[in-house]
Amino acid sequence: MSLEQLNAIKFEEIIYDNLESCLVIFSRKDCHVCKEVVPLLEELQPNYLGKFGFYYVDVEEDKNLYQRFSLKGVPQILFFKEGEYQAKLVGAVDEDKVIDKIDEVLES
Amino acid sequence: MKREALTQKLLVLGVDGMDPKLSRKFMDEGIMPNLQKLLAKGSAREDLGHLGVLPTITPAAWTTLATGAYPGTHGITCFWRQSPHSLDAVVYNMDSRNCEAEQLWNVTADAGLKTLVWHWPGSAWPPTSDNPNLSVVDGTQPGSVNMGVAQLDWEKIIFASEEIKEIQYAPKLERPAGTGCMISDLSAITEEKEPTTDMMELWYGEAAMTGSEIREYIMGPENMEMVIESIPHYDVVNSPLKNAEGWVAAPADAKEFTILTSDGIVRRPTLILKNADGIYDRIAIYKNKKAESPIVVLEVGKMVSGIVDDINKEGVLKPACRTMKVLELSTDGTSVKMWISNALDIAQDKLWHPKELLKDIVENVGPVQPVSLVGGEDAYLVEKVYEPAWDSYSQWQAKALNHLIKTRDFQVVFTHLHNVDCAGHMFWHLAKNLERWSHCDAEVNQNFIRKFYIQTDKYIGEFLHLLDEGWTVLLLADHGLLVGEEFPPQIGEYGGMNVQVMQELGYTVMKQDENGKNLKEVDWEKTTAVQSRSNYIYINLKGRDAHGIVDPADKYELERRIMSDLYSYRYKGQRIIGLAMRNKDAVVLGTNGPQCGDIFFTVDEGFSRLHGDGLSTTDGAFDTTVTPIFIAAGTGIKENFTTTRTIRQVDIAPTIATLVGVRMPAQCEGAPIYQILDEEF
Repeated sequence: MSLEQLNAIKFEEIIYDNLESCLVIFSRKDCHVCKEVVPLLEELQPNYLGKFGFYYVDVEEDKNLYQRFSLKGVPQILFFKEGEYQAKLVGAVDEDKVIDKIDEVLES
Repeated sequence: MKREALTQKLLVLGVDGMDPKLSRKFMDEGIMPNLQKLLAKGSAREDLGHLGVLPTITPAAWTTLATGAYPGTHGITCFWRQSPHSLDAVVYNMDSRNCEAEQLWNVTADAGLKTLVWHWPGSAWPPTSDNPNLSVVDGTQPGSVNMGVAQLDWEKIIFASEEIKEIQYAPKLERPAGTGCMISDLSAITEEKEPTTDMMELWYGEAAMTGSEIREYIMGPENMEMVIESIPHYDVVNSPLKNAEGWVAAPADAKEFTILTSDGIVRRPTLILKNADGIYDRIAIYKNKKAESPIVVLEVGKMVSGIVDDINKEGVLKPACRTMKVLELSTDGTSVKMWISNALDIAQDKLWHPKELLKDIVENVGPVQPVSLVGGEDAYLVEKVYEPAWDSYSQWQAKALNHLIKTRDFQVVFTHLHNVDCAGHMFWHLAKNLERWSHCDAEVNQNFIRKFYIQTDKYIGEFLHLLDEGWTVLLLADHGLLVGEEFPPQIGEYGGMNVQVMQELGYTVMKQDENGKNLKEVDWEKTTAVQSRSNYIYINLKGRDAHGIVDPADKYELERRIMSDLYSYRYKGQRIIGLAMRNKDAVVLGTNGPQCGDIFFTVDEGFSRLHGDGLSTTDGAFDTTVTPIFIAAGTGIKENFTTTRTIRQVDIAPTIATLVGVRMPAQCEGAPIYQILDEEF
């Protein structure tokens, strides 16, 4: 199940208007590490339906979002809850790390 | 020893950079009534000044005021001290552990007097006495309380309009005056650039407290402080503006836009609201659209401080205090421009001793207010943001000090306010028509100087009631500030190693690239001397310095040659060096000893920058002087009295010691100002 792409407007709506608990991976098409991490998120996504959202931002298409979060390099997974940024995971990550972080965010 | 006190309560009202000539001028114009009252009740010289120490540099002078010792004796000879590892590196010096003279507040605390030292930028932090009578707040940088350790987010200008389609954020943009508030080319500004200076981070940051070493080469005008500080930097947010949608608490006809905080990661939806006449005249900032009540409501044109909101640092929320102002709001609600200050962590108590002082202030006066650092050549920002933000801070500080004085029985209080000096560094040099800033209006900037003195007068007014309650009040400064007559030569800048003049004279040799352009690396094999910090020249000496090449036997002759060349050097056809003397001879100026280089020199009148490079008697344009102010009034001081006595900066600590009846600080080199005291000595 592929991740829903967010542009700046959609990003505002999901994260800040709907206050959804979710993660957003900032990635780039030609990034090798992103190609490993994105499928991992796609696999995890069905386990959290209705509980925790999974999205992606293409940093080349939405430079201003990348800029706004002062990110340096991709991939980076940002976690949000109730309109507040919670944490991020940087670079190559394994499934357990993502699961732990989601649990942490949901329980906080 | 025991000495009878002439007063039971004494307040030192320190105002950094306060100039007696300008004070007299503005008093004569009738815009400083509180200063006039203080003067009428007390004693001063006719010129209202006192003889400041050399160098005319903030921590050096405040340390002298605290110890009664010359800089050569107390060892704080600039913002920076020389690194022991290399002549081109310096180490932050606003650290009491580097001070080699006893501070008067330790003496008063030991004598049983409850003593408060508030943001004193010269050898105050960390406290050097564990006597419970001593309380100390900050003092690690000259700016404002907690500026160095509690900043969680930077200043921002937010511009919202119907034309903007999606939210954009550009951090720390360099914004020369006249630049609009639209972010036009994000990719151009997102490139990683080498920072022009790493000084600010050390200055205001935590690295300063750890004794970090920096190398800063002043190689051209672009590295000079007055050029850097003229151009404001701030974050810019561009937000769409539309009819409010999806809100719990939005009235009909409300519009909305978005503010970003926390380096861009926190969003605060904001309503634009109409008044009863149907005109949009205020905004309300909310945590999110589901919130029932706003964090704050701001009317257009009215600055509000003490606004507490969470800042998100790596997912951790910290309450922080901000000041905000809606600068412009179109009456039809289609565009809005606002400023938000930096954000100060309201619970950051690491520079408060004892720590509970902060809680007391926050609960009874309000959280520590941030100041503004945006202005410079942008007159719009100076008028609408910078000056009012400092006014607000000054009033907060006056309330905080009065609260502590009233509730805690302090008997001796040392205080420092930085408003005038901070403004001086930002735009005093724009108050004369110099070619480099021909796009700025000198008269506009002269009036900004007036505004800062009016602000200071208001601050002084907050303490005059103490004169009726038996207090003695000393108004003083570390140095004055010049409106420079000329764009200064590149020698004597305090921020690091000054390359140009010494390179032209052949003493400093920089490595160069294939185009003959200076690299940021000294060629130590060819360098015989360097000019470092405000007034110091170091010989690159064998056996002493890491890369030394000059034989100690040749040092004396080399010093003679350097001094001769400095006097012969011409800038715009003029001699620019005032004095140059060997370290041993500089004892006549109080600038001898291990922290004062091998040669001490001054830049001559007419070519000095704001302060810090010339003699302490130097005058500038617009009736300015580097001489610092001194007025004393209240118990123990003669009323309405003028003295002809030369009051030296080293005389002030012993005068305070005499007034409050304690012994002299151990390394004190001054003498009490007997002439202004009620009692004969």
